[in-house]
Amino acid sequence: MNIQQNSVSENNFEQCIKCTICTVYCPVAAANPDYPGPKQAGPDGERLRLKRPDFFDSALKYCMNCKRCEVSCPSNVRIGDIIQAARIKYGPQHNTSLRNFVLANTDLVGTLATPFAPIVNTTVALKPVRFVMDKVMAIDHRRIFPKYAHGTFTSWYRKHAAAAQEAFPKQVAYFHGCYVNYNNPQLGKDLLRIMNALGYGVQLLDKEKCCGVALISNGLYKQARRQAETNLRSIRTSVKGRDLDLITTSSTCTFTLRDEYPHLLGLENGDVRDRIELATRYLYRLIRSGEAQLKFKDTTPLRVAYHTPCHMEKMGWGYYSIELLRMIPGVEVTVLDSQCCGIGGTYGFKKENYEVSQAIGAPLFRQIEESGADLVATDCETCKWQIEMSTSKPCEHPLHILASRLA
Amino acid sequence: MNNTYDVIIIGGGATGAGIARDCSLRGVRALLLERSDISTGATGRNHGLLHSGARYAVTDHESAEECIRENMILRKIAAHCVEETDGLFISLPEDGLEYQSVFVNACRRAGIRADIIDPREALRLEPSANPALIGAVRVPDGAVDPFRLTSSNVLDARAHGAEIRTYTEVMELLREQDRIVGVRAYDHRNRCELKFYAQVVVNAGGIWGHGIAAKAGITVNMLPAKGALLIFGHRVNNLVLNRCRKPADADILVPGDTISLIGTTSSKVPYDQIDNMIITPDEVDLLLREGEKLAPSLATTRILRAYAGVRPLVASDDDPSGRTVSRGIVLLDHATRDGMEGFITITGGKLMTYRLMAEWATDLVCKKIGNPERCRTAEIPLPGSTEDRREVDRKLRNKPVAQRRSSISRHGDQAVKIDSRTSIQNSLVCECEEVSIGEVEYALENLAVNNLVDLRRRTRIGMGTCQGELCACRAAGLMGHRDPVCARKAKADLVSFLNERWKGMAPIAWGDTLRESEYMTWVYESVCGLSDEAKTASK
Amino acid sequence: MRFDTVIIGGGLAGMACGIRLAEAGQRCAIVSQGQSAIHFSSGSFDLLGRLPDGTPVTDPVAGIAALAESAPAHPYSVIGAERCARHAETAAELLRSAGIRVAGDSRRNHFRITPMGKAKRTWLTIDGYLTTDDADRLPFKTVCIVNVEGFLDFYPEFIAEEFRKRGVECRFGSFNHPDLEQIRRNPSEMRSANIARVFDRDADLEALAAELHRCSEGCDALILPALIGINRNDSLELLRARVGCPIHLLPTLPPSIPGIRAQQALQHRFRALGGEYFLGDSVLSAETRGSRVERIYTANHGNIPFEAAHFVLATGSFFSKGLLATPDRIVEPVFGADTEFVPSRSEWYTLRFFDRQAYQAFGVKTDPALRVIKEGKALDNLYCAGAGLAGFHPVQEECGAGVSLLSALHVAETILKIEN
Repeated sequence: MNIQQNSVSENNFEQCIKCTICTVYCPVAAANPDYPGPKQAGPDGERLRLKRPDFFDSALKYCMNCKRCEVSCPSNVRIGDIIQAARIKYGPQHNTSLRNFVLANTDLVGTLATPFAPIVNTTVALKPVRFVMDKVMAIDHRRIFPKYAHGTFTSWYRKHAAAAQEAFPKQVAYFHGCYVNYNNPQLGKDLLRIMNALGYGVQLLDKEKCCGVALISNGLYKQARRQAETNLRSIRTSVKGRDLDLITTSSTCTFTLRDEYPHLLGLENGDVRDRIELATRYLYRLIRSGEAQLKFKDTTPLRVAYHTPCHMEKMGWGYYSIELLRMIPGVEVTVLDSQCCGIGGTYGFKKENYEVSQAIGAPLFRQIEESGADLVATDCETCKWQIEMSTSKPCEHPLHILASRLA
Repeated sequence: MNNTYDVIIIGGGATGAGIARDCSLRGVRALLLERSDISTGATGRNHGLLHSGARYAVTDHESAEECIRENMILRKIAAHCVEETDGLFISLPEDGLEYQSVFVNACRRAGIRADIIDPREALRLEPSANPALIGAVRVPDGAVDPFRLTSSNVLDARAHGAEIRTYTEVMELLREQDRIVGVRAYDHRNRCELKFYAQVVVNAGGIWGHGIAAKAGITVNMLPAKGALLIFGHRVNNLVLNRCRKPADADILVPGDTISLIGTTSSKVPYDQIDNMIITPDEVDLLLREGEKLAPSLATTRILRAYAGVRPLVASDDDPSGRTVSRGIVLLDHATRDGMEGFITITGGKLMTYRLMAEWATDLVCKKIGNPERCRTAEIPLPGSTEDRREVDRKLRNKPVAQRRSSISRHGDQAVKIDSRTSIQNSLVCECEEVSIGEVEYALENLAVNNLVDLRRRTRIGMGTCQGELCACRAAGLMGHRDPVCARKAKADLVSFLNERWKGMAPIAWGDTLRESEYMTWVYESVCGLSDEAKTASK
Repeated sequence: MRFDTVIIGGGLAGMACGIRLAEAGQRCAIVSQGQSAIHFSSGSFDLLGRLPDGTPVTDPVAGIAALAESAPAHPYSVIGAERCARHAETAAELLRSAGIRVAGDSRRNHFRITPMGKAKRTWLTIDGYLTTDDADRLPFKTVCIVNVEGFLDFYPEFIAEEFRKRGVECRFGSFNHPDLEQIRRNPSEMRSANIARVFDRDADLEALAAELHRCSEGCDALILPALIGINRNDSLELLRARVGCPIHLLPTLPPSIPGIRAQQALQHRFRALGGEYFLGDSVLSAETRGSRVERIYTANHGNIPFEAAHFVLATGSFFSKGLLATPDRIVEPVFGADTEFVPSRSEWYTLRFFDRQAYQAFGVKTDPALRVIKEGKALDNLYCAGAGLAGFHPVQEECGAGVSLLSALHVAETILKIEN
């Protein structure tokens, strides 16, 4: 008999055999009883929603899309995707609360804020302002907002770097993401410094939009799809047209470009997916293959604790960042247990999620405090904000640490 | 104990339950005896198809007319047991389109709405249908849940004074000269013999009616026909899919509650094998091969289980060779047929016409006992269907969505009787099918549940993807907790429940189902240390 | 990525093999598709409880020796009785070195008590869990079985029914707390792991201690489901100190707290020894040259393969997809290894759930060194360990954990011998 030879059901949710392992590793279910949990919200719920769409439970919005359920699932069920896809398919189609709009549109808000960065940063840090934001917009007043840079990374690049990059014999393309552009241009500069030291010039995409992760989690799917289409067009031009690899410095942007586009937004990216990678992975490959070498100057001892962001855990790429850190003379790396910090992108900014967010992160914060590290390293910007707000340690990107010790 | 009734009904299928309800609504004091649980025979082992009659339109005009009439009645009186999905009769290239016009004309003659629709429209309505289809006809097919239907009839019959005794097996028909005056029965739960008397005994035993009639020395020549079906893990289709051709094997795919099922095969079995239905690999292969033609995705969809029912086909009385069978309703008054007073047999027919069969049988009972009341079962809704679903939903809005919707699907307006005042009562026992502790308690108290398998028929516990892996022990634990004296019984019950589930899984145990089975073995045999004590004892 | 040994599968076998190799100084990677079946642990590890014909085994080492004749294809017979005895001692040490406090004797089975009160033969049991040396006797006369209110995966009445058969007087206790009400707001998440997180908080543990103290009046022991100490080690000691009466834990239905803890302990141990643990990844393809596996490619790592001198296939049986069953054959999906199975599906099982099912003994074909056979020939550097092996019934013979541990250690020993 030829039918049913592919013995594992094509309907991925049917591969769930109710072993309950995902429920152990879901950070939200452990902290928020209003969330049905990954098994119920995912495969169990999917079966009911296929019976009748009105089985959709709005509590699925509490899933912060960390994908830890998927990492733990022994049956390879794409639990997180099932939940997010259900939100897209069955959930409210017009989610236009001002708060969600502001949090989701990192691009727009960043563009508005960076020219007035000193004023914006001072203002949002003010207690009365935070109080008003809490009351009017339901952004928790205890949350510390990331600071905006005065001037974006792209404008700096165009003015001060673009011309020099052309000179390098080898080139890569760089997806900087909103964080580097609006909040931390220094990380982009660090990347340029490292790549240049290895003999690579760094090119930006013709047109880059926010990857859309925050739009997806805030229910703004149409806009997410539009931005994704723009990004994929630009990526194709650079990757296929110019034969450049595309590197990124944010684990979440990378994950979104590679996996969320096809899985959640239904946008095929198979032709370019393998060439989109995290800069740390790219560097690991270059260095391990002997193609390039880095020289360091500063070798003062530094104890670094590496935190694996959720989407990094899902991609399985923490190894590369850790190995890269281990290559730096003087740096002693300890790897923290891989657990969610609780921020979940924009999730933890929302007033209704604040307590849950901090409760989720508590074990990690405790481990960080007890680690004896000088600083924490991580590849995700929102994890960085959360860790810096919730612990006594500074938190930096591995590439920042690397760049700062280069010869 | 009072043991005298107006009528004794033998058989707790849909027909028996329907007669009990009809009788009790007409003030006839009825006793129903069932050797096992309700809806354990052919009632619970078929497609659960709410026939529009279209399937019979060409070959059996009378059945087709009965079906569409009953179809419309059931939508009214049993709304909570029915899903108004509509159905498609699709023509594949190998079928050709010739049959379509014959079919449509026949449907219309029988009063069945039959609309020819464009193949593209058909695929839009039902994306799972074979995209190679060249024609499609839309008809008012639907799905009907036989467990709920029977249970609601029982519930209403009880409410109107009928007595329902499950696990009570008729051993002998008590006879005085040429008259059946009652029955001698064995109560399997209390392990004792009982005698009951009535003016009329109704044989509504389905295929087992052959043996019951034989106890009175009467021959009702039945030809057991086995029909095997497969249940898929989720709803593949939302419209019933049929092949537009002469009825054949495995040409109906019915969506029912959370699943879809394909059926059936058809093969004659010896009468002595009707309690021992085993699905063969050939039957599974045939169902998949044909099923894939209706909906190609079946080839890669997880199968939950396989099962078979036995159709009670009756050889026509006027054909002594027994080759001509009647698929229609057969009502035999043994007084006129065989000179045996006080005994009638109702058989043949199908789940769809259970109410009509009950009406005919009850009419005859009433005639015999001189009751002038007319039948009202076509007008009075069954319990569960008296109130609009949306209204019930509103009343229960503080329950979690999935749990609320599931319990309303299962119990209709009776869902408000499920106690959900505490969070413990809202806790789920069965996570696949959203059965709460409150619902289990409701079923145990109101729906005559004696064991886990009964509980499954009332609530869908263990009918989901995991086939009882998580919930069976929880439910057993709850039953053990309610009656700590019976903890031993509850454990044995758990073992027989697992055997019952496994029996349906074994014929299709590959892929994810085998993974599930292995996990189930770890949980029950290794972690819990359960064993089949009956098996060990017999060694 | 280059390692000395790459192990596919992060369950008991994969982990034990990785730890043993890392202890010996190898650089190892474990690639695991999700968390493992250790999460359903009973809190005990079986070595051999029954012979294939159902005869109970008192002395596992002697039982293993007896298998040589009655079950020559059994992994224990393949490894050899003497080696098995030696590996068993190493395995117990390995678990202890990972911080899993187990007690037991490979020359004498003891009994563990199940969540339904049954006594099952076993080899090693984690500290704190109820055991007995005599299936008909329990170490108490009057006991209170305490459950958390609304927890459905533990069965006090069933346990009591079994205990009473052994002359034990049973009472029931029940614990509730506002913090539990919080979890109960979710209709499906009143699960062991979530409850255990509540009891990891000092205040809740103290409240439990107070209730247990009340329950202990007039009892010589308390029985408690394994719902404590998911992220702390001192819960049971603390309860015992507060209550002043012996407290015995019994396992629950999955997820299993002792299982989760054991998994974490093994993972920590492996990492502490320098092992790299890749969770949530699946192997897509392997490259072989001649009869050597050169590298494997995974879903997550794409164009960066895992290269190693040795590979270990510890992907388990059907549950973890180490073996796939189609309607007519059994497939090993990573390497396409030869598999042992009966061709006719109707012979894979009987219709009674608790029978000895033939499918449970299906598995990967190996040579005497547990090297994987493909197309009739053994691959040089690919070994199989654990539940994916053919020739044994892990549940019926009560030997699942033992086969995983012993075969893993056997493979590790073979690899280390080659390297030295």
